[in-house]
Amino acid sequence: STRERIKAIRDLPMSFQEKKHIRLFRTNITGEFVYKIIIHLRTLVVLKSTPRDYMPWVSYSVSLQFLRRCGYSIRSIRQTLELWQGIMKEIGGKFGTSVLTYFLFLKWLLMFNIFSFLVNFGFITIPLLVYDISPNIPPNVGFGGLEILTGAVSGYFNYTAMYYGGYSNETLVDLVEYNMQLAYFFTIAIYMVLCGIALITSMANSFKTNYMLADQVSNSAWQLLCSWDFNIINERAVRQRKNNLSVQLKVNFVQYKPFQFENILFDHIGIHLGSWLLSTGMAVGCAHQQPFLCPLSLQNTTDASNWSLLQEAETLLVPFVVSSMNLVVPLFYSLFNKFEQYSSQRRQIYTLLLRNVLLKMFILGVLCYYWMKVVPQKFSCWESMVGQALYRLVIFDFFFLMLGSFFGEFLSNMIGTKFLPRLGVPEFDVARNVLELIYAQTLVWIGIYFSPLLPAIQIVKLFVLFFIKKVSLTHNCQPPRRTGRAAQMQTIFIALLFFPFFVGALSIVAYTAWRLTPSQQCGPFRGLNNTFSVVGIWIDGMEDNPGSKGAIWIYDNVIKSEIAYFLGTLIILIIIYIFWQVSQGRKHLIGRLRQLIANEGKDKSFLLEKLQNLQKSCRHKKQKQKNRNKVHFYRTIC
Amino acid sequence: MGTTASQLGKDLLSEYQELTFLTKQEILLAHKRFTELLTKDEKDLPNVRVPMEKILTLPELKSNPFRTRICQVFSTSIVKDGSLTFEDFLDLLSAFSDSATLEIKSHYAFRIFDFDDDGTLDCGDLEKLVNCLTGETEDTRLTPEEMRQLIHNILDESDIDKDGTVNLSEFQHVISRSPDFVSSFKIVL
Repeated sequence: STRERIKAIRDLPMSFQEKKHIRLFRTNITGEFVYKIIIHLRTLVVLKSTPRDYMPWVSYSVSLQFLRRCGYSIRSIRQTLELWQGIMKEIGGKFGTSVLTYFLFLKWLLMFNIFSFLVNFGFITIPLLVYDISPNIPPNVGFGGLEILTGAVSGYFNYTAMYYGGYSNETLVDLVEYNMQLAYFFTIAIYMVLCGIALITSMANSFKTNYMLADQVSNSAWQLLCSWDFNIINERAVRQRKNNLSVQLKVNFVQYKPFQFENILFDHIGIHLGSWLLSTGMAVGCAHQQPFLCPLSLQNTTDASNWSLLQEAETLLVPFVVSSMNLVVPLFYSLFNKFEQYSSQRRQIYTLLLRNVLLKMFILGVLCYYWMKVVPQKFSCWESMVGQALYRLVIFDFFFLMLGSFFGEFLSNMIGTKFLPRLGVPEFDVARNVLELIYAQTLVWIGIYFSPLLPAIQIVKLFVLFFIKKVSLTHNCQPPRRTGRAAQMQTIFIALLFFPFFVGALSIVAYTAWRLTPSQQCGPFRGLNNTFSVVGIWIDGMEDNPGSKGAIWIYDNVIKSEIAYFLGTLIILIIIYIFWQVSQGRKHLIGRLRQLIANEGKDKSFLLEKLQNLQKSCRHKKQKQKNRNKVHFYRTIC
Repeated sequence: MGTTASQLGKDLLSEYQELTFLTKQEILLAHKRFTELLTKDEKDLPNVRVPMEKILTLPELKSNPFRTRICQVFSTSIVKDGSLTFEDFLDLLSAFSDSATLEIKSHYAFRIFDFDDDGTLDCGDLEKLVNCLTGETEDTRLTPEEMRQLIHNILDESDIDKDGTVNLSEFQHVISRSPDFVSSFKIVL
């Protein structure tokens, strides 16, 4: 087809004029030109197999051209809509690609939240607002002072569409019948599934293009040289990169380091073990405190409607403690890191990441346990309570992120330049910042079920955070000293985002929907045994409808039965095993082909040597023959 | 043929869009930046060739260690002086753009690193490459001993047929195992 032909021509590494010639198939082609085509045989095959257009203006049918123009204009439009492109280029130009990955990740998460907000607002909130514009707030409730911070335990917010409790469980009849229960359930479910699919596909893409190989391949000198970052425009940054590269080359690839086995083993194992024990101990200790703090704030009354100001302020205690732990403990981990010696920088980053992930998982795990086990017993409208707790966590996390930016970058810069010049200007710690983003996004994912409009807060938060981090970066930080590894870190971040954080959030929501009884007095699922029974009721209701026999059969035999899931998992495992074996086989093939090429090279040099020897001996023989003739000639004369 | 004054014809624009990896915005921006480099009377001539010194005043190329090589590789001038027409300039941006394929990028990277234009990367080319990237001052430059060791390491790892040079296929093999290459081999206006 013409499109394939044009794509094939575009992929040729030739100059523009030559490509134009090929396309219009001019007859005055020079010999060098033909040679260039021949060395791109693959392209030639594509060109050959597509219909030859001798009269190009006739062959381009109107519809094809129109479609292609549409494709180009869509690409152009997507480019104009790209957010913050100028800022990204500026950051990439001064700090390189690895720092840019943080900001790209932030933009990606922003898109997730915008999508989720639109979906939730469109399918859940708008029908409610249209049907019942004034929410049924009890008469003695006003809009108090601490409302924004605490998420209004007893106030205005509790009864609005902000939280689960504000949604009705009726089938709204206005223009069409709109079943609120089904809408709520399916919107949340489908959004989570779409998120999961987006994460899995981007993780798979990332693995495919940036596959993480063992140290010796990705750490080689060639990789360093080939990965010179052409994005960097700032002259000082370029000079700094060159210096860093020179240092890296000298240290890693040129100097011979005598390997001392015993020292490394005994000195460092003790330090490593100690740090691990300390860090795990701190994480568990922090997490363990939560159950003691939470009941502290709820001791006096289980009915949430008339709390005094002091009690409301007490609810702020938990998020404050949690966020401050999230801020302070990673600093301790970085401190431990400085004392330890690592064989490679990559192992250092991985260990730091692992410890931080464990800390956050412990804290979130204990909080969720408390929310799932204790809160439903104590409160009447417990989903709204959980929603409010999450709202408070999100808000405090925002404040502490800004504070962290202040400590992490501004103060370090001050200390590094004025007080302790030895430390120098700080670098932008991409790993820590990305982990904070992932944690913030996990809070929103857990909270979507309990507070459907939480993504709106996250959108504002991410927007403000982008600009704060950008300003902090440009004023306080220097470009990273070690180059490379941006692609691998990106893969790790996406993998971390998906598993354990997204999977954890998904399991919390699934557990809530499956096992926990919805509260009786509020929310769209009041009166049911569990949330999932909404689907059961709907399917039962469909039995009167003759056309839906297929759907009912699917529900009964596939979704409800365990055998289906078991069989599905088995089939997937078998497919994975087959693919794994195929990739092992290909690895062996690659090894054998390399050996083949090496042997060919040896053959070539052997034959060349033999040829040279042959030529030498021929010349030698000819010389001897000439000498013999001369002697014979002189002999005959004399 | 070629560009005139300050406007690009629609047909020309669509041809550029089809044969390069650039979008319409990028082509128009490139046209704007290119015409800024021209003198007043050059602006009306079609197919103007801009000398290398002027191209190197662009901020995207000014501090790049390979700036002269890039201009020489993409130049189609007969005297091989590194001057670029607008179409050469588009070629340059297309090869360095986001949507260019890995093959195109590795092909051009190979040509840029091939300082003596002989089709292979031998020791001389590698030495010039390392010197380009390690800075000009005395303490960052590698000593001859270090250079020899480094080149030995490089050839050890990438020269598969052991002929002492790295040809295009071996270079592309190394690139394919370097995930950072595609994202770092980018110049955006």
